[in-house]
Amino acid sequence: MKQSRFWPWLIFALGSLYFLLPLIATFQFSLSIRRDTLSWDAYLNVFQAPAFQQTFSYSLVVGFAAVVVGVLIVVPAAYFVRLRAPQLRPVIEFVTLLPLIIPPIILVFGYIRMYNSSSLIPLTNSTIGTDVLLTLAYVALAMPYMYRAVDTGLRTIDVQTLTEAANILGANTATILLRIILPNITVAVLSGAFLTLAIVVGEFTIASLLNRPAFGVYMQNVGANRAYEPAALAVISFVITWAAMGMIQLLARFAPRTAARS
Amino acid sequence: MRWGDYIGVAPFLVFAILFLIVPTAFLMASAFVDREGGFTLDNIANLNTPQILSSFWISIRVSVASAAIGALVGLIFALAVIRGRLPQAVRSTVLTFSGVASQFAGIPLAFAFIATLGRLGLITWLFKTYLDLDIYRAGFNLLSFWGLTITYCYFQIPLMILIIAPAIDGLKKEWSEAAATLGATPVQFWRYVGLPVLWPNLLGTLSLLFANAFGAIATAYALTGSSLNIVPILLYAQIRGDVLNDPGLGAALALGMVVIAALANVVYLVIRTRAERWLK
Amino acid sequence: MKLRFVTMVSATALVAAGAIAPAFADASQQLVDAAKKEGQLTVIALPHDWCGYGAVIEGFKKKYPGITVNELNPDAGSGDEIEAVKANKGNTGPQAPDVIDVGLSFGPSSKEAKLIQPYKVSTWDSIPDSAKDADGYWYGDYYGVMAFLVNTDIVKTVPKTWADLQKPDYANAVALSGDPRVANQAIMSVHAAGLASGGKLGADAAKKGVDFFAKLNKAGNFVPVIGKAAPLAQGTTPIVTTWDYNALSWRDGFNGNPKAEVVVPSDAVVAGVYVQAISAYAPHPNAAKLWMEYLYSDEGQLGWLAGYCHPIRFNDLAARKAIPADMLAKLPDPALYAKAVFPTLDEQAAAKDVVVKTWDSAVGANVK
Repeated sequence: MKQSRFWPWLIFALGSLYFLLPLIATFQFSLSIRRDTLSWDAYLNVFQAPAFQQTFSYSLVVGFAAVVVGVLIVVPAAYFVRLRAPQLRPVIEFVTLLPLIIPPIILVFGYIRMYNSSSLIPLTNSTIGTDVLLTLAYVALAMPYMYRAVDTGLRTIDVQTLTEAANILGANTATILLRIILPNITVAVLSGAFLTLAIVVGEFTIASLLNRPAFGVYMQNVGANRAYEPAALAVISFVITWAAMGMIQLLARFAPRTAARS
Repeated sequence: MRWGDYIGVAPFLVFAILFLIVPTAFLMASAFVDREGGFTLDNIANLNTPQILSSFWISIRVSVASAAIGALVGLIFALAVIRGRLPQAVRSTVLTFSGVASQFAGIPLAFAFIATLGRLGLITWLFKTYLDLDIYRAGFNLLSFWGLTITYCYFQIPLMILIIAPAIDGLKKEWSEAAATLGATPVQFWRYVGLPVLWPNLLGTLSLLFANAFGAIATAYALTGSSLNIVPILLYAQIRGDVLNDPGLGAALALGMVVIAALANVVYLVIRTRAERWLK
Repeated sequence: MKLRFVTMVSATALVAAGAIAPAFADASQQLVDAAKKEGQLTVIALPHDWCGYGAVIEGFKKKYPGITVNELNPDAGSGDEIEAVKANKGNTGPQAPDVIDVGLSFGPSSKEAKLIQPYKVSTWDSIPDSAKDADGYWYGDYYGVMAFLVNTDIVKTVPKTWADLQKPDYANAVALSGDPRVANQAIMSVHAAGLASGGKLGADAAKKGVDFFAKLNKAGNFVPVIGKAAPLAQGTTPIVTTWDYNALSWRDGFNGNPKAEVVVPSDAVVAGVYVQAISAYAPHPNAAKLWMEYLYSDEGQLGWLAGYCHPIRFNDLAARKAIPADMLAKLPDPALYAKAVFPTLDEQAAAKDVVVKTWDSAVGANVK
């Protein structure tokens, strides 16, 4: 029963064309900073601007933190909603769509009003506090994607049966979540993680208004009013983020394998 | 066990209240406040202008078009890569690429498409030089409804791929084998087994894609900024911008967007509940 | 409040002639010490390429080491800055802006909303009256005139006037540097085009300006993409209408690739003023005052001039021959600036109203 692989390859080729061409056009433009010749000058200008490494590592760290917090918040909620409280589902799903509708600048001003130095939770008073606030803001931004991904993953496995079996064997809820549910939805969680990381690396508005040295802020400063540097930055940012995700993907290979992932 | 059910959801709810609902409520509340601070319904009433109504309509159309196309193309692409038994490396590459591409929006994306399909774009130039075909004379224009939709698809399709991938993984091999044993053609398999199983996920992702496009402003703004009239741009004009503005109206616009997103969500829920009736 | 440029020149010449206090006084030691004790200054919406702010901020940091400068959101518009001030009420962290640089119309409105506090810099008297608030709440900082930046690799005949833009040579070429429903620059462009078409400053010019762009759009000359350095270089928007200082700084940034020319259209020269103010909730008020003293000192004003912005004390500096000759040489022909018109607050508000309301039906919404 050897299935023809012609159609999948054709579709893959056409899709790749659509996705790669705009990137190639951007890349070609970024190399055109010098008249009549191709050169890497735009890239040199970008790398020479101070704080490239600093801001990128900062954003990566915040990104990973946002992924962890996001998973900790979303997975139990999605699990319980699936299992015991399906009536909450419409409410929760609607709430998770809010960050897509409300512009991030509204969110950040809301956070500043709520968590500034004269409020009950003065997060903005200290650097660590502001970092926490920034991380939580990113968790909020990534929530639609994280929730939808995890929900899709949970829908695919038979949550009810797994839970009952685990209960019979004496596992408590935390064990179930950590050792049974999570490994089975690794692919979904990874999707959510990728999306969160991509959001964090590119985000500018919230980081800038909270005065944190994020990569998006750095990119904006370097490229705002230039002609060729923004294109170079777009390419660099794309490649680096892709590489970071590739690494996560590699690490995930070492995650416990389950039958569902064949 | 009633309260026990809610323990797991508690962190989420607390987070949602503190970091999503309350900031939004600030904004929603100011929709009902006039410049002096008194209660008013004027801001909402002011939504009833031809400009604003048409902006909502265009927004909805762009969002529906890009969500539908994004969902369809994304599904086909994901199916090809995952079930088409292409090498594992291809699958990993596609998934990680989709992660990046799904957030590639705003000015960089608009510029990339201008550099590709604009009047002086790469493809335009290639077609003109090698195929002697001027696509602009033939009627194509990147700075149009469909141009914008094509651009939006750049992040809609990857989003679809990422979210639907785990669901496609869940289509067990045994099912298609069993169907084949019973004499079903691939088409029949998809029609009676595959698609119905995927259907709730498809709907959920469609809803997400719709909201994603509905709230997207940066790309549209950078691409057709002065000629396109969509709600986020109007919102932007009232709440941000360089000229004296009417924050109350901006808040009313945001309220309108939230209401529409809620309605879309309700529609999706209704359809999904019916579809899920036979699935556990 | 309807002072034309020529009157401004004579007024400041008189003031300069009769000036008693030296206009280049340094800030008092008291202020410097108080500012250093606060140790921080938070600014917002200052891109490094706008009016040479990058160099100005560096100059401030060099002159007063020990004061960290927090730069928030260089991408912000004037509306964002006001929102930031409001949202940070009661916040003493580094997210609260101390000073703002906003469009002229935001000065009186922020004063009314009690969002700013008064301060008169030591060089107060050399700021023209029409560009400052009598009580010292806000004060003009720099101005520029509306100009064209033309990519001469693509556009062979450079347009010299607004009327020129309608010519068929410029099909698919002309773009605004912002959205006329949102951005001050874009509204001023429309206003200027209307003035060139014979309108009177204010609602009349705005209406004629919208008609101008409607005609431009129908002729196929108008490109709805927002014109910035990148699309201009790439070729999608080879002619962009923007402030002269932006045009000059982008041109410099190109370094010859593409070749570009800055043109101040001769049929209408419209100037726009931005104003500075100190936030009423500023967590570092002394640092804010020191910053103002720096900006309005000769050093600060010349810093803006290096970024091609005409500082508000330009005439005073010119009269005292404090401007280096090579800096003057890099600026466009002063004769053009002599006939610049400064729309008053009322005229600007009226123009903005007309543009925002009628743009979509006249020019926009061609996306079917």
